[in-house]
Amino acid sequence: MAGVQTSAEKWTNRTAIAAVFVALIIMLTPIYWIAATAFKPRNLATTIPPTVVYEPTVAPFVKLFTKRSQLREQPTQEEYDNAPWWEQMVFDGGEKVVRNRKSGEVRSSGYGDRFKNSLIVSVISTILAVGMGTLTAYGFSRFKVAGEDDWLFFILSTRMLPPVVVAIPMFLMYRVVGLNDTHMGLIILYTAFNLSFAVWIMKGFIDEIPREYEEAALVDGYTRIQAFFKVVLPEALTGMAATAVFCFITAWNEYAFALIMTNRNAQTAPPYIPSQVGSGLPDWTVIAAGTFLFLIPVAIFTFLLRNHLLRGMSFGAIRK
Amino acid sequence: MAQIDMRNVQKFFGANQVLKDLDLTIEDGEFVVMLGQSGGGKTTALRAIAGLETVTSGQILIDGVEMQGKKAADRDIAFVFQSFSLYPHMTVRENISFPLRAVRMGAADREKAVNEVAEVLQITEHLDNKPSALSGGDMQRVAIGRALVRRPKALLMDEPLGVLDAKLREQMRAEIKRLHIARGSTSVYVTHDQVEAMSLADRIVILHDGVLQQVGAPEEVYLHPTNAFVAKFVGSPVMNINAASFAGVNGQSSVLIGGAETGFHFPEQMINHVRNTGQPVSLGVRPEAVILSHEAKEGYLAAQTSNIEPLGSHDIVDVLIGETVLRARTESGYVAREGQQVFVNIDPAQAHFFDGATGLNLRGAN
Repeated sequence: MAGVQTSAEKWTNRTAIAAVFVALIIMLTPIYWIAATAFKPRNLATTIPPTVVYEPTVAPFVKLFTKRSQLREQPTQEEYDNAPWWEQMVFDGGEKVVRNRKSGEVRSSGYGDRFKNSLIVSVISTILAVGMGTLTAYGFSRFKVAGEDDWLFFILSTRMLPPVVVAIPMFLMYRVVGLNDTHMGLIILYTAFNLSFAVWIMKGFIDEIPREYEEAALVDGYTRIQAFFKVVLPEALTGMAATAVFCFITAWNEYAFALIMTNRNAQTAPPYIPSQVGSGLPDWTVIAAGTFLFLIPVAIFTFLLRNHLLRGMSFGAIRK
Repeated sequence: MAQIDMRNVQKFFGANQVLKDLDLTIEDGEFVVMLGQSGGGKTTALRAIAGLETVTSGQILIDGVEMQGKKAADRDIAFVFQSFSLYPHMTVRENISFPLRAVRMGAADREKAVNEVAEVLQITEHLDNKPSALSGGDMQRVAIGRALVRRPKALLMDEPLGVLDAKLREQMRAEIKRLHIARGSTSVYVTHDQVEAMSLADRIVILHDGVLQQVGAPEEVYLHPTNAFVAKFVGSPVMNINAASFAGVNGQSSVLIGGAETGFHFPEQMINHVRNTGQPVSLGVRPEAVILSHEAKEGYLAAQTSNIEPLGSHDIVDVLIGETVLRARTESGYVAREGQQVFVNIDPAQAHFFDGATGLNLRGAN
C-alpha cells in the first residue's frame, strides 16, 4: 500500500507525469498528423494553419489503391450518377479511375502489391534471421568454437559498413546472378543484414539459460537436439520474440536497398510511397494514407509479442 | 542398482589437470560422498560418471560395462544439480515425468510412477504448480523426484543442498538419508560440507587438487586421516596442526610446538618412529584432545586464554602457548574470560604427526 506522501514526493510525481505527458505529445504528434491527413479531403491537407476539424473521408484510401488519371473534361451527370460511390470520390477530386479498355475492370495502383511484397520479404527474412541466429548463438554459447571471439567480431563487423557504401557493388552482383527485383534477393539481403544482430542478441539470451537445463535433459535420456527443442527453445522464446520484433522492424522499414534493388515485381512499400510524390502534383492525403497503413503491421506485431518482450527470463526456478 | 568403477581416470581442461589417476570403486547400493574444496575435482569426477564430461584417459565402468563414448542418455543414471534446474515452463508433474517421456512410457504408467514418487517425497499437492511457486526445499524434492522416477542405476548429486539455508539443509539431509535407506540406490554425492559428508556417507572420498586423498568410512576418516589435508578438512573446528620439535627431558620425551621451551610428554614408543626420521614434522590435535585445567599439573603447560566461542553445548577456547594458538573444546563456561591463565595438556593417544614436507600422517609408519 502507498504510504503517506510528503509534499515533496507529490511534486516529484506531478513533475514526472508532466514530463511524460510532454514527451508523449512530442512523439505522438507526427503519428497523429499522418493519421489525420490520411482522412482529410485533399483541399484541407495543406492549409495553413492546419485544419483540425473536418469531415473525415476515405477518398485518400480509394485513390491509394486505384490507378487514376487527370480528368480532361467533366464527366456527364449520367456517368457520375452511374459510378459507384468510390469512383464518385475520384471524380470529385478532378480525376478519373483508369479502367481496362477491353474488360472495363478498374486498374489498381501498385500499392497493394508493394504492401504484399513488404509482408513477404519482412516475414520470411525475420523467420530466417531469428531461426539461424538462434542456432548460431546456441552453438557459440554452448560449444567451444576455435576463435570464438574473432568469429563473433566478424559477424558483428558485417553491420559496421553503412549499407549505402555497398549498395552499388551489391546491385552489380545481384544483376549478374539474376537476383535483381526478386523477393529472394531482398530476403537474402535482409536476412544477412539482420543475422549478425540476431546472433548477438540471442547469444546474450542463451548465455542466460543455465546449461544445467540441457544437461538434466541429456542425463534424463534425451539427445542434444531434443534437449534443444524441449528445454532451450521454450526458455529462449522471450529473446526470440524481442529479436524478431527488431528484425521485422528493420526489414519492414528498409528503404535504400529496396529502392536500388527492386522496381516492379519485388518492390516493397517504402520506396513506393515517396515515388508517388513525383507523379503530378503531390497528393499528400494519398501519401499519408499509404504511410498510415504501412505503420499498422509493425504495431500489430509488437502488440502481439508485448508479453514476451516484457516478461522476465526464468522466473527464478533456478537457484544461484 | 549398479557398481561404478573408475580406473586411472585423468581429466585435463587445457593444460590444467583436474583429475589425477583417480581409482575408485563404488559398490552396489552404497552411499558415497565426494568431499573436497571447490576446484578439487569432485564435481568433474561426478560429471564424468554421468557422461556430461569426457575423460582424457582411463576407464569408467558401470556394472562392468565400459562407458567411454557412451552418451549421458545411454548410461541410465540420474543427476541432481545444485541449481535444481527444474524446467520453468513445465509444471512439477511435467518436470518429474520428463525422463519417462524420453523413454516413451505410456501415459498411465507415467502417471502412476509420478504419483508414487511424489508421495514418497511429499510433493503430491504441488504436482500442478510451476516450479517458481515452490519453496527451495520443495524444488529440491522435485529435482530428486525427477531423478528417482526412472529408477536409474545410480543417483548422482552435485551439492544438492548447497543453496538451501542451514535449517532446511539439515532437514533435507535427513530426508535424503531416509530415501537412500528406503530405495537402496547407489548414490554418489558431492559436497564441500564435511558435516553433510559425515552424516550421509557409507564411505567418504576426499579429493584435493584432483588427487584422491583418502577413502573410508566417516569415523575412519575422522580418526585416522591419511594426511594433514584430510585432517584439516574433516572435523569442526579444524584440527590444530603446528610445527613440532622433540626434546628429551628427565628421561621422558616431550613434543614442543611453536617457540615453546617446554613440551607435552609423550610415551617414548609413540614418537620414536617420528623422531628417528629427522624430518621436520607437525603435531596435529583435534580441539577435543586438548585438555585444559585451572590448576598446574604434572605435564601441563601454562597458557593464556584468548578468544572464546560459546556454542551452547560446549565452548571453543583459543589458548596461547607462547605465540602458538591451540583451539580447545571445553564444557560451557569452563573458561570465563579472555586473558586468563590456564594449563594445557594434550591426549597423546589422539595426537597425529604429519610429515612437514609431504603432509603424510606418520602414525601409520610403525
